[in-house]
Amino acid sequence: MDDFLIYSSYIILFISLILYTYSFFRKEKANVFFIIYIVFSFLIQISMEIMYHMHLNNLLLMNTFVIGQMILLGLFYKSLFKIQAQKKVVVWSMILALLIIFIQLYNDPKQIYKFNLFEITICSLLVLIFALMHFYNMLGDNKTYYYFSIGVVAFMLASTVLLLVGNLTHNLSNEFKYLSWRLNAFLVGVFYFSMIVEWKVSFSKTKNLAN
Amino acid sequence: MSLHSIPEKEIVAIILYTSLFFMIVAVVLIIFFYFSRQKIIQKELEKVDLILRYQREQLHAVIITQEEERKRIAQDLHDDISSKLNIVSLNSHLLTAPNLTESETAEITENIINLTTKALENSRKIAHNLLPPVFEKFGLNAGIEELCEEFETSKSVKTHYKNEIDFDDKDLDRHLHIFRILQELMNNSLRHGKATEIWISFINIEGVNTCNYEDNGIGFDSSNAENQKGLGMKNIDSRISFLEGTIKITSEINNGIAVNFTF
Repeated sequence: MDDFLIYSSYIILFISLILYTYSFFRKEKANVFFIIYIVFSFLIQISMEIMYHMHLNNLLLMNTFVIGQMILLGLFYKSLFKIQAQKKVVVWSMILALLIIFIQLYNDPKQIYKFNLFEITICSLLVLIFALMHFYNMLGDNKTYYYFSIGVVAFMLASTVLLLVGNLTHNLSNEFKYLSWRLNAFLVGVFYFSMIVEWKVSFSKTKNLAN
Repeated sequence: MSLHSIPEKEIVAIILYTSLFFMIVAVVLIIFFYFSRQKIIQKELEKVDLILRYQREQLHAVIITQEEERKRIAQDLHDDISSKLNIVSLNSHLLTAPNLTESETAEITENIINLTTKALENSRKIAHNLLPPVFEKFGLNAGIEELCEEFETSKSVKTHYKNEIDFDDKDLDRHLHIFRILQELMNNSLRHGKATEIWISFINIEGVNTCNYEDNGIGFDSSNAENQKGLGMKNIDSRISFLEGTIKITSEINNGIAVNFTF
């Protein structure tokens, strides 16, 4: 069951990676940062899998992923925004967040190998805010990356809490230990699936029109 | 291992961060909804504004058309009738002059008769232009046939008219719109398009009455929106909306114009 959840989300991610790279090189329509984000997620997932098999602590990677996700999705939404003030908000809030996180890690380097609560909260919040800003911009306009943004908001709301309680689950009995992670794996799968839905809606149709 | 082995500090931190996360999310969501509402209301207002502006433009168009029409009728009356009646009146005054010879009287009378005949003919033409009697008596088909004939004789344009629809005389009000649209299109073809040939056909396609109009004039760039905003075009548009039909105008420079409308 666990393997099925995890590997199906890998497969979904891999499919969306192929689909988006295809439309990126064919029509140069998919957003650059979006592609980079997918590639980044894919690399992290693969390396996590490898580390899992080598019995290493992969929380360092997890923290990298959370920060990288914020940067890439931030840049992605920044490239979608048209209002200069919004772009500035994205850039400055990201710089500020990174600065604070680095100061925190400098003071307490052990946090890298744990679920860094502060970092998770800040990064998820920022991505959520960027996605909501994008929703605001889409009101009454054409929908771009609409389904993906829905996925982002849903995933961020649910999985942030699961990550925050991550340090607790270490100490639970095996029976319950994996419950939250199964849920998280399922949410990741749904999130990656929203990318495919997005591709289906935004990119496959225009391709047909062009044909 | 049990839950108690976790330092209390950590549990408190987790609880704090989780609640902080939700609090900030709640605030952000409230802000989001507040601004969204404002934006939606603003969009609605813009929409209403757009409709109002469109209606105002329509109204302007109606008033301007009315004024132009009045001007045209006034000009027709002045040029063709008043001037002739003036001369008639002058001539009649001449008749009252003393010591007129027989031949002079005859000449003046002939003048008067000629001028009144012409004035009569002109007044008939003006009335005819306003609403052709053939159209009123025999319907749209005959009206357009006569329109084509008129264009052929007086304006040296070759017309091809084909009708496959049996028009119902009860719909004469609607038919008048169609007649006016075609009149406008033909006038435009001649005046702006310098066309020498015009094709008009009425076809019933799957229960929808359709009119196809084509000419071989100089055409215009139909992708340029400026070309669709003239008074004549507005007039046609509002007539089409009266008919609850659709209109499609395609044209290229030096390639004539093709108009399809349904009614």
